[in-house]
Amino acid sequence: MANYLFDLERSAKGLRINRFLHSFATAAVRARFAGDPEQAMADAGLDDVERDMIRRRDWRALMEHGASFFCLEKLARATGVSNPEMVAAFRGETLAQFLATRRVPGAR
Amino acid sequence: MATIIGGIGTSHVPTIAMAFDRGKQADPDWAPLFAGYEPAAAWLADKQPDVLVFCANDHATTFFFDHYPTFALGVGDEYAIADEGLGPRPIPRLRGHAALARHIACSLVEDEFDLTIFQGLPLDHGLHSPLTMMWPSRPDWPGQVVPLMVNVLQHPMPTPRRCFKLGHHLRKAILSYPDDLKVAIVGTGGLSHQLIGERAGFNNEPWDREFLELIERDPERLAAMSLDDFRRLGGNEGAEVIMWLIMRGAIAPAARAIHRSYYLPMTTAMAVAVFE
Repeated sequence: MANYLFDLERSAKGLRINRFLHSFATAAVRARFAGDPEQAMADAGLDDVERDMIRRRDWRALMEHGASFFCLEKLARATGVSNPEMVAAFRGETLAQFLATRRVPGAR
Repeated sequence: MATIIGGIGTSHVPTIAMAFDRGKQADPDWAPLFAGYEPAAAWLADKQPDVLVFCANDHATTFFFDHYPTFALGVGDEYAIADEGLGPRPIPRLRGHAALARHIACSLVEDEFDLTIFQGLPLDHGLHSPLTMMWPSRPDWPGQVVPLMVNVLQHPMPTPRRCFKLGHHLRKAILSYPDDLKVAIVGTGGLSHQLIGERAGFNNEPWDREFLELIERDPERLAAMSLDDFRRLGGNEGAEVIMWLIMRGAIAPAARAIHRSYYLPMTTAMAVAVFE
């Protein structure tokens, strides 16, 4: 089982995608992405693989690519995705499957 | 002279802030969380500290991986509420105690803790998700804060031992401040949770309970553990509880827990403890 430790190697590998994800903490970037996601991704210099993962909101692939959870959180908040949804995706489960493992499924 | 009246250990899960901002006090799914914070709020209301020194972390919000500091001390007199993707929370800006912070900076650097110093930057939920549960934010905060931000995101992270030592020197710094100030220390983070990888969703309540005992009675044993130990027992992200060791090192060695609560509704175990 990989531990996905966010070390300097992973940080270097994910720097470009993390910079893009981090930018969602700015209202102007969120507005630009909502209006024209393709242009926003092109402006950020994302490569084809990265653009595809963002388009599909493939949280697990993004994590494996080097995205920091805390940078992914910015995109998630900006696009209305909750942390339990992301955690479920990392586990390879649906949200309903993940919630069934929790003590208080409504606490989200 | 400044005094240290005690400390608080608390989780800083973002959903704590969400529950507060959405007024979930009466929601049965959240009521146990609010009940757990009531004694901490009552303690602060009773003791009326002038300053809360917060050992917390930024979540790649204000600081990014192009320059991520290991220990960063805020020395400003005001901190905006950070935008984390949804716009800033509707709470007042935090007021900083710049004079105390500058004194702490000089004292810690003199003691060979070579801090990063920041001012004029916003702060994220790592500090204010627990704060709104314990301190009234309307019409304005009753006191000031000094933020001590710790890298618990990007490895290499400081060791548990280093955090405990930093707490000891933080105590020395605060107690040597010449003005009469009542200071409380807040250590944030945890408890057990893992947010990434196939082990995402991992919790360990027996370890959490043991941690809450050890932080009170035997912090030396926690300081002697490795970060790998903390990750294995409490999850990758749960290892951030090393920030409680800064708080524990800064309060009186004989301090005892006068309140403890624990609630594990979803992904992260939420705990709050008051030490006096």
